[in-house]
Amino acid sequence: MNIIRNYIYQGKNLFRDGTFLFWAMVYPIILAFFFNLAFSSMMNVNFDDIQVGIEENNYIFPILEEIEFINIHKITQDQVDEKLFNEEIDAFVDSDLHLTVKKSGIRQTIIKEVVEQIKQTVKLNRPIDGTEFSVNYVAGKNQESNSVIIIFYSLIAMVSTYGVFAGIETASLMQANLSNLGLRINATPLKKQNFLIAGVIVSLLLNLLANTGLLLFINYVLKIHLFTNIAYSLIFIILGNLLGVILGIFIGVSNKKSPNVKTAIAISLTLFLSFLSGMMGPWIKAIIEKYAPFLNRINPISIITNNLYRINLLGNTKSLGEGIAVLLIYSMVLLIGSYVFLRRKSYDSI
Amino acid sequence: MTVFKYFLKIALKNKWIIIMYISIFFVMTLLNSTDAMKREEAFEETRLNIGIIDKSNSELSSSLKDYLKEKNNIVATKEDEEYIKEQIFLEIADAVIIIPEDFTERVIEKEEAIIIYKDDRKPHSIQIENQINKFLAFANITYQNGQFALGDVKEALKENTQVHVLSKSGFFENSSIETWFRYYFNFTGYVILAVYIAIIGIVMSDFRDERIDNRRKISSKKLLEFNKEIYLGQLTLAIAVTSVFIIASILLMGRYIGHIYYIKYLINLMVFSLSILCLTFLINNITRNKHVITTLSTVLSLGSSFISGVMVPQELLGEKVLLVAKFFPVYYFVRINDAVINSLSEVAFELFMQVLFAVAFLLLGLMFSKKAQRI
Repeated sequence: MNIIRNYIYQGKNLFRDGTFLFWAMVYPIILAFFFNLAFSSMMNVNFDDIQVGIEENNYIFPILEEIEFINIHKITQDQVDEKLFNEEIDAFVDSDLHLTVKKSGIRQTIIKEVVEQIKQTVKLNRPIDGTEFSVNYVAGKNQESNSVIIIFYSLIAMVSTYGVFAGIETASLMQANLSNLGLRINATPLKKQNFLIAGVIVSLLLNLLANTGLLLFINYVLKIHLFTNIAYSLIFIILGNLLGVILGIFIGVSNKKSPNVKTAIAISLTLFLSFLSGMMGPWIKAIIEKYAPFLNRINPISIITNNLYRINLLGNTKSLGEGIAVLLIYSMVLLIGSYVFLRRKSYDSI
Repeated sequence: MTVFKYFLKIALKNKWIIIMYISIFFVMTLLNSTDAMKREEAFEETRLNIGIIDKSNSELSSSLKDYLKEKNNIVATKEDEEYIKEQIFLEIADAVIIIPEDFTERVIEKEEAIIIYKDDRKPHSIQIENQINKFLAFANITYQNGQFALGDVKEALKENTQVHVLSKSGFFENSSIETWFRYYFNFTGYVILAVYIAIIGIVMSDFRDERIDNRRKISSKKLLEFNKEIYLGQLTLAIAVTSVFIIASILLMGRYIGHIYYIKYLINLMVFSLSILCLTFLINNITRNKHVITTLSTVLSLGSSFISGVMVPQELLGEKVLLVAKFFPVYYFVRINDAVINSLSEVAFELFMQVLFAVAFLLLGLMFSKKAQRI
């Protein structure tokens, strides 16, 4: 009976701190809302035809007209500046086949490539009948890119570890030298072990509840559909929760700093790991992949992020086993570490 | 100055956590701005990032590779479909091409000779296809008596076209140094927001203790006096934090300061720091709850930085987003960092807005403090 009572009291304890519950639930949602605001315009890639300005009497006019991804604007020399600045055209080709552009970019580079091809063909100076350039030598395999969506997976990975705060609370409840409640509890014949397990389970459930709220919000309100394989995704979200709570307990019991400092440690640690996994821009993840790919395989937030997008968007389950194993190892090590700090602590007076 | 003295004492007591906080965020700033230098190159042809797997190892395939290398950046890849797809998905590579063993024969037969992984929706995929098709068409044109004249192809491909760039008063003079400073200071804005709220929150938590607060209320210390000293303490801590980032920018890139309009970044950062300090003052007067403060530190800093163009440049954000962003001081801070100006008067409005935010936050903070005084 004791253990069930433990659950109820610890649950009540966390729930009664209404602000904790409110913020645990609401602020990932606020963040997701901001993220969505910022990135909604970036997530849809649309390739429009390239707009090229050219004078009608230019001899390459008919050639450019044939190319399907180029849209021709017949303009005169004196309209060039205006059209470029209004971004009606990406580039202007003059009679010497020189280009005028407003800025550099992929669209301008493509036009340059096309114009150069015409010049280069002349330079090659071989008889051609025109069919040579209609041959397609490449067999394309399409894979949609969407690096920005990583930010959402990374956010989910980060908040899945936010059980860390509940973990810190649990730890302070258990330790006689941290809180008055802990002092009283230590004077009772209650077993610490039971208390620890109850704390983990209650924190886990609470944070899972918060995560569910976030996922529902992303799916139904923001209408970003991140999950195609719910079962595998859940494994990683639950493991993230488990790791978070245990990390919180570890931070809680391993030192005697004030709760504020412990929270600061937890926040900066999870934030930094999320940053490395791409939460503030997928390019950070890309440089790590390039220079220290190992980091992406040991950073727990990266492991969760990577597996979430692999499972759901790439249908790739290769790293599943490794990811689960690494996360479980972290959790086990931290749990044992916490137990070492907790055990055999008794006080004659405090 | 008892209050001020104790404020500093508590700050010193928490020095390790404060140092840890600043160092973590500093590493993030450095990673972000160093990467930015590469992200936004000066005015030139766009180079794609491509991966090449060559199983043919023929003369034709190696000269194709040489040509592609000249035009693009090569990224390491491996022959594993899932790995390649992930590279495309993450935009680490714009395209990955696989040259099969029977490549040369296929080219001569005018068949599909190369497998290419790419995102069809992006203009980059057209670019890489054009490059490959052009090279192979040229090679085939020169094919005679079982031989390609690859030397001639190479010679022809050297032919290029001049590109003239229209410029409107320094519109595009973004050198990579300018970019570094821009990203460094923009990101510092995020850090200031996150770090001020978090570490001042930690120090203030001792003052917020109810028993201490009650004792303070019955003391002879006037509220305004108390607030003044608290604010002074916060200011000292704030100056320390901001200085770290200013000094670091000088230590790292000091030799380039003469080439850019450094004073713009400096003054902007100071004004911004002031407005965020006032915001922190307000937050600490609204709530005593540590959860709320930690949350605000994360939500406000990340949220407003994201929509104001710290992580993603403002020009890529939608207009509606920027409309919302205008309600946060970060927006004006980023605008100044992004602007190409010759004198500070050109950004007077943005500076003024930040000061306005500072005054509003400060007055609200004093108001809440007064309200809390009543029992």
